[in-house]
Amino acid sequence: MLKVSHMDTFIGRKRIIKDVSFQVKPGAIVGLIGPNGAGKTTIMKTILGLTKFTGTVAVDDQPVTENNHAALSGVGALIEHPAIYPFLSGLENLKLYSRDSDDMDHVINLLQMQTYIDTKSKDYSLGMKQKLGIAIAFLNRPQLIILDEPMNGLDIEATISIRKIIKQYAAQGASFLISSHVLGELQKVMTKAILITEGKIIVDKPISEFNQLSHQQYKILTENMDQTTQIFKDNRIPIIKSDDYLLIKHDLLFQVQDLLYANHVRLLELSPRGMSFEQIIVGILEKQRRQQHEK
Amino acid sequence: MSFSLYQEFYKLSHKKIPWIMPLLLLVLMVFMGLVYPSQYGNLMVMTSYNTSDWILIILVITSSTLFSMEFQNNTILTLVYKAPNKLYVYLSKLIVMFAYNVILHVLSMIFTALLILTPINKPVSWMATYQYHQPLVVNMFATTGVDLITSLLIISLIFFMSCLINSNSLVITLNIAIIFMGSYASSDLLNNSSKLASLVKWNPLNMINLTTQYYSYAVTRGFTMLSNLQLLIGAAGYSLFFLVVGYLIFRKKRF
Repeated sequence: MLKVSHMDTFIGRKRIIKDVSFQVKPGAIVGLIGPNGAGKTTIMKTILGLTKFTGTVAVDDQPVTENNHAALSGVGALIEHPAIYPFLSGLENLKLYSRDSDDMDHVINLLQMQTYIDTKSKDYSLGMKQKLGIAIAFLNRPQLIILDEPMNGLDIEATISIRKIIKQYAAQGASFLISSHVLGELQKVMTKAILITEGKIIVDKPISEFNQLSHQQYKILTENMDQTTQIFKDNRIPIIKSDDYLLIKHDLLFQVQDLLYANHVRLLELSPRGMSFEQIIVGILEKQRRQQHEK
Repeated sequence: MSFSLYQEFYKLSHKKIPWIMPLLLLVLMVFMGLVYPSQYGNLMVMTSYNTSDWILIILVITSSTLFSMEFQNNTILTLVYKAPNKLYVYLSKLIVMFAYNVILHVLSMIFTALLILTPINKPVSWMATYQYHQPLVVNMFATTGVDLITSLLIISLIFFMSCLINSNSLVITLNIAIIFMGSYASSDLLNNSSKLASLVKWNPLNMINLTTQYYSYAVTRGFTMLSNLQLLIGAAGYSLFFLVVGYLIFRKKRF
């Protein structure tokens, strides 16, 4: 569906996106995640042919260039802020982009916008504007939908509803590229995560692999936590400190037990501990920063 | 292209300004008819009650708003990626503005035909020979035709500046300054550079005098130093130049 190969994006002479390559297959929901300024929006804009770039972007094997968007006819997008005209009502905004009135009605019903669709969009709340922006992206039955921070300003009901719609469209074969700061929410829908920092992809994995990672830590509680910390430090055992316990990786389990036994430290608790998706991502980013600092 | 044109017409027709402006134009025409002495009746008809400058100001406000709203509302991103290429976006806006320009000129002629039936104007004969040995009605159509070229020059300048400058108010101010002061600036430039006058007379500001020179040849020819045809060619040439350069800037613009 979408194939990005060796994409370099420039702002002026500055290289913002560095040799980025990835694919979004039909029916896939790919999460583009990373810290602020990592380049997520720039990647999305580049896919939409809105910035100068080198490398290739292809949608259904048709190339996209900065000045040829023919391949984007089956693409819907919400980039940065909802693209709406305040002097038009929600319905008029949709009519401006719609090529099929039945499909437009379907999208309005799907997003439950019937009660305010005839109101001028300048009177909309942040959440209503966001929904309208998402509705524009879903118009004309797109095969690829690019959503930049789609959950911004949405209440819980709307968030759940959008999540369902995304899954429904994906089940029908549509592909998604979504960026979001609400990682927990993204984790619930995505099939693959691409982690990006400083314009480079550092992780591109199916979500199932992240889920495996989340069970790879053990919680340790001993009768002398200070001594335990010192033993681990002396033996170069990487740990994550919490208020009253320590976390270690599961592959170090036996080594840690042996060390504590050898040093006569009594274990009070040793139990597997799940890590949230957010903690995994933060951990990867911290590791990346450490490696760069060491270089 | 047809879908891009549909979008632009849809937006223009749903904004209030394009509907209010013709009414304002009528008010200004009535005002001009009242202000000018009755012996200028034929000239008032020929110039459609001196609407040239007013139409240019309306175009400045409407065109720059049409451009700037896309950046203010972040709609430019959707507009550009949904169009097959950036030329479609630029051309559709240009075509819509030129069509609006034509509508304003047609309305100014219709208003003129109505106003001469009122006491504002002393009775005139449409078929009486007036300037260029032509009937008054032909003079009016010809002046309108010439003014379409002058207004195209202003539209091209607005498009060029809107692509170059992000501030809508600055674009409006600069263009209104050009409309009102451009011909004086050009005249001063020509007076102060007598040795280079043959070159300076081709400056773009001089071309804004096209309509004025057409209906007031004896007065204007002296300070433009160009014939009607030369002004016409100059205005058309600069329009093309500003439109092409404006498009090249738009194409390179970062969204």
